[in-house]
Amino acid sequence: MERSVAAAEAEAAATAAAAVGVEKIVVLDNGAGFCKAGFAGHQDPVAMVPNCLGRPRGSKRWLVADQVQECDDIQGLAVRRPMDRGYLISPELEKEVWDRIFKVLLNVKPADCALLLVEPLFNLPSIQKITDELVFEDLGFHSYYVADAPSLAHIYEANRRPESLLARSDCSLIVDSGFSFTHAVPVFQKFTMNYAVKRLNLGGKALTNYLKELVSYRAWNMMDETYLMEDVKEKLCFCSTDVPFDLNVSRKRGNSNYIKCQYVLPDGVKYKRGFVKDPGAAAAVHLKKKNVEIEVNGKHIDEDNVRTRVDTDRASVGTTETRRNVIVVDEQELTLTNERFMVPEMLFHPADLGMEEAGLAECIVRAVSACHPDLQALFYSSVVLTGGSMLFPWCKEKLELELRPLIPDEFDVHVTLTDSPITACWRGGSLLAASPDFGDCLVSKRDYEEQGSLRCRRRFFH
Amino acid sequence: MEDDNPLSRQSSRIRKIAPKLSAALLDPNTRLQVAQARLDALENDGVALDTAEADEDEDAFAGDEDLGFSQKKAPKGSKRKTRQAKALERLGNTKKAPRTFLEMLHETNLEALPAHVPSYLTAAVGPPNSGSRRHFCSVCGYLSTYTCPRCGARFCSSQCQIVHNDTRCQKFVA
Repeated sequence: MERSVAAAEAEAAATAAAAVGVEKIVVLDNGAGFCKAGFAGHQDPVAMVPNCLGRPRGSKRWLVADQVQECDDIQGLAVRRPMDRGYLISPELEKEVWDRIFKVLLNVKPADCALLLVEPLFNLPSIQKITDELVFEDLGFHSYYVADAPSLAHIYEANRRPESLLARSDCSLIVDSGFSFTHAVPVFQKFTMNYAVKRLNLGGKALTNYLKELVSYRAWNMMDETYLMEDVKEKLCFCSTDVPFDLNVSRKRGNSNYIKCQYVLPDGVKYKRGFVKDPGAAAAVHLKKKNVEIEVNGKHIDEDNVRTRVDTDRASVGTTETRRNVIVVDEQELTLTNERFMVPEMLFHPADLGMEEAGLAECIVRAVSACHPDLQALFYSSVVLTGGSMLFPWCKEKLELELRPLIPDEFDVHVTLTDSPITACWRGGSLLAASPDFGDCLVSKRDYEEQGSLRCRRRFFH
Repeated sequence: MEDDNPLSRQSSRIRKIAPKLSAALLDPNTRLQVAQARLDALENDGVALDTAEADEDEDAFAGDEDLGFSQKKAPKGSKRKTRQAKALERLGNTKKAPRTFLEMLHETNLEALPAHVPSYLTAAVGPPNSGSRRHFCSVCGYLSTYTCPRCGARFCSSQCQIVHNDTRCQKFVA
């Protein structure tokens, strides 16, 4: 079964490429956090690698893209990124990452390939120029096309649910919350309505850094451990649908505090990677209000229970250690309480941080309000969340709660989280690149050499 | 704050600020600037550059070797470096930080565009409608009711106030 899917994918990729007259069509979603790269017609990208160079502490060698991911020595990993605030600033670093992706991970020759590149919205002309140079002059692609992320996410979502209102009206509001920023974008008939786009300057990176700052002040100094904190954020943070209530819970002692949880930091000897100490306890937050009644009966009993459980944990760890004959090192733990939900909370209320920006819900309302009044009802009824920062549990519910009071009563609000927030945009690109008309959209290397960067850009409609 | 005596036995992370500066902190504009600096720090990529420099210093300490010499020396190690690896190292270690996006934005001069043309600047979401905001304790993160009279930070209890005075109030914590 699986094999037939792979065969079908390969066939689709081959026919798409043949239609354009190249060997392969490469789709590259060049996010500031992760690069997603693969072939047109495939369901999933072949490579999903961090878009950065990293160097372990004490080493002189810079690791590129997937090597960073595989690197075991993540403590104090120094990172350099080719993108700043979501836009390409260092073509030299980007070239290293792309070289690695194309030559090693995808194993293609750029000269025989067409490229579909995903670019951030409102890319500056100077950055477009260096991107063109990078694609044609440094890497030497046969031809390429530039698309923007929201329209691709829309294509994917419309393709995934062909019966939905979104697909039938061909209009949706895409909320793309990535590594550097969050965009609320109305998409109409597969085109981004650029005059209505609203951007919130908060993304995964800012959230990680915020968590890092909080933890460094309250517990351990983690200022050098961005990579580690990213993992903590992904595993433990969630959106709170009732902040005052959860704040109260996280303040309690003992078992009734279902929000508090521990993350074991890597010591570089026994644990190369950090992990959540008790995944069950960390997940308790999804059940909500667990053990609230017990707390009323008597607090100290709960605390005793916790202590014994911790002791048994310790004991089991101890036995494995003696068996392995390793020096017993007490693991360092990071305890998180209100940080777990106050960090994603920032996306919804940046003003709490002192940031003069409206929250995500207001951002959506402003984007929709900038469109034609007849379309607004359609946009509100198909809000689609995509991007890595939308992966926080309860994010959708939280947004629905916040959105409803801001929108007139006669409009229906329907928020959906796409099934693969990180790759949705790439999958849309894969669909677009495999469509029969794709060849007509491309700008070839020869066009570029004759007409230059600016003229070629006119063909991309943005 | 470069004029601090490097030999003092104070923690390197905490630096007291001059009395003039502490007076300036009472000024709302300065407080705004401090808050803005903190927000800008959220977009930083960690401390990559610091460590790169430290390693370069280490090299300098080992002896001022010119390029040719170090090249001769390199094969002695476990692995010979390829040309690409060397290029990578040079790239990673360049002291000159690449231009930031904000610099490039400034150069593009988007303000000159007419108001109806959508651009990076017009897409910004803008300030929130309601001026009211919740306040959270700068120490523990719970809802706060008090404001520090000296620096304007929030705290929720006397315990948190003590922590705040000891660590953050009128000090720059790196």
